[in-house]
Amino acid sequence: MVTCWNSYTTERHSLKSPWSRKKRRQPLSRQSWNGLFTIEGRFRDGGIKFLKKARSGGIEPSIRADVWPFLLGVYDLNSSEEERNAVQLQKRNIYEDLRRQCQLLSSHCYQGNMLMNIDKINGEARYDFNEDAYSAANSEDGSPRLSLSMEGSDVEDQPVYDRTPDSASRNSDDEVDDEEECEITHFDAFLAETDSSDSESSYEVLKRIPKLNPWPTNSPSSKPETFSRTVEDYATWQRIIRVDAIRADPEWVACSPAQASVSLELSKQAAEAVDLKNYDHLEPCMIRHASRLVSVLEAYAAYDPEIGYCQGMSDLLSPILTVMEDDHDAFWCFVGFMRKARHNFRLDEIGIRRQLAIVSRIIRSKDAHLYRHLEKLQAEDCFFVYRMVLVLFRRELTFQQTVCLWEVMWADQAAIRAGIENSASCRMRLRAPPTNDLLLYAIAACVLQRRKLILEKYSTMDEIMRECNSMSGQLDVWRLLDDAHDLVVTLHDKV
Amino acid sequence: MAYRVDDDYDYLFKVVLIGDAGVGKSNLLSRFTRNEFSLESKSTIGVEFATRSTRVEEKVVKAQIWDTAGQERYRAITSAYYRGAVGALLVYDITRHVTFESMERWLKELREHTNSNVIVMLVGNKADLRHLRAVSTEDAKAFAEKESTFFMETSALESTNVEDAFIEVLTQIHSVMSKKALNVGDDPMALPKGQTISVGSKDDVSVVKKSGCC
Repeated sequence: MVTCWNSYTTERHSLKSPWSRKKRRQPLSRQSWNGLFTIEGRFRDGGIKFLKKARSGGIEPSIRADVWPFLLGVYDLNSSEEERNAVQLQKRNIYEDLRRQCQLLSSHCYQGNMLMNIDKINGEARYDFNEDAYSAANSEDGSPRLSLSMEGSDVEDQPVYDRTPDSASRNSDDEVDDEEECEITHFDAFLAETDSSDSESSYEVLKRIPKLNPWPTNSPSSKPETFSRTVEDYATWQRIIRVDAIRADPEWVACSPAQASVSLELSKQAAEAVDLKNYDHLEPCMIRHASRLVSVLEAYAAYDPEIGYCQGMSDLLSPILTVMEDDHDAFWCFVGFMRKARHNFRLDEIGIRRQLAIVSRIIRSKDAHLYRHLEKLQAEDCFFVYRMVLVLFRRELTFQQTVCLWEVMWADQAAIRAGIENSASCRMRLRAPPTNDLLLYAIAACVLQRRKLILEKYSTMDEIMRECNSMSGQLDVWRLLDDAHDLVVTLHDKV
Repeated sequence: MAYRVDDDYDYLFKVVLIGDAGVGKSNLLSRFTRNEFSLESKSTIGVEFATRSTRVEEKVVKAQIWDTAGQERYRAITSAYYRGAVGALLVYDITRHVTFESMERWLKELREHTNSNVIVMLVGNKADLRHLRAVSTEDAKAFAEKESTFFMETSALESTNVEDAFIEVLTQIHSVMSKKALNVGDDPMALPKGQTISVGSKDDVSVVKKSGCC
């Protein structure tokens, strides 16, 4: 389970900023991690010390697989070990259901020219933002989140695709164990609560689907009143997922010797299981990694059809796969990560635009002179940091740097979710309170670090964009975090 | 062809690379601007650009080539960058027919966002994968003819026709521009942001079809 991180000491050392005047705090170690729990595996203090430590010094790589499910909200901070085991089992089953769905869909996609839609029911998204992951996992109330309808000449060959468990013939108290009789036409996906900062969006509190489901009773011929969601359909996502999976960044290999040493035979089996092709040029470990990317991303697209798959998501998943060796654990960590990050990938672009606007506001508040220069270049919308915002610095930082940054960011978000953001003990010595927008402060810090260059050398937005797109390998993650925290301290009330 | 110092040029032409995800747009760009190719080049997020200066009919032309994300989802973002483009390479993958089917949509999108006289070249990439061909050269030619675009088959991997495709587009832009004796001034960099360089009326764009060499 635990990934081996041989190169940890030297890697960490190399991350230390040569310019940083602040002494870097030690990361959370295995020993202090173990010491945080009671005998029944509950945090002694509700996780406050854990989050404080994670926020200021990060996490020792060898314990990441144990820690990330807490950071990403897979496990409640107040849960006992026994409760977590139950949650893990339940989530594992749901993931496996999702995979069965994907396999069924794949065989249909590849067999014929069937038009496949993931439908919206009366415009209601299936993403349920009410549910807390932990409590939902314990909920008895199985309710469908996604239904798949098939339209095509040979639809009669397929069993009742427009059937859901809560159609009039049944009620939601029925046990949801009828996959075999209806070939998995639904699944019971519960969702973690989303961050509320995008609440201006259409994702207002959504009630559970069953009450709203207008689908007709168990008549196979009747079609639900649905509309096709976009020009992108599940088959398109499947294609693009595979295109992206076989060109994943191999940088992680050095960090996970266990996964790096997979045999060619095993990796080919994995590829075959998800119908992956065109991988002959890849090393066995990359074939397996690509196959895992396909498995988890397809499952996610089925789980969250509002988002489906969008290029860039594989960048976010890849590091999680490296740390979490089991696909189902990786999937739920990814779901936790996407709780906030999914807004970046929305079709209506509300999420990404909102985030760019915040970066713009941070720069305006901190440096009016630079902001005026950007205005002059018609670049005040900060579009030049689009990629940084969308894939959360993954393209600009190394693998190790990226996960360090993400961990600190996740710890901030976890502190806010747990309602302990105002707890004095959760504050760092910098006095920076946790924020949901730490990444945006880091991006603004990154731009501000280049203010002289931008002011003196750049006379078009294109040049700034080129600068931002070519920062790979030039950033110092802890300096960036220090600068970001400084900005949070001075600006968090204003922005 | 010699690569020149970036700021020493007579004209600046903006060219966009568009087409479905994974057809090889980024590799066409890196092959043309840096003579590099990578099987593992990452997906393009949003837009990126690179430049290369080259000599076209005794003039130094700086090509600013914008590479765009292929997924439908990014269309709103990427199409904003079509503005001001005077040339476009519409790229599909000769081994995936679905990417050729998308060409019509991409072309429509392009024409909605640019001057109608933009020089367009249909590019069938990955021509090295002969054994996997799914789009015939004839079909592509017919499409190019119907839509009055240029056409070439390329291989960024083998570096086949990449240079020719870009140079052809740049030459055509230059030729149309010269014919109309456009008033773009001595310093093309001085163009106000967002202004399109007109490349003449539709009739001026002569259609030359080139069959791929692969």
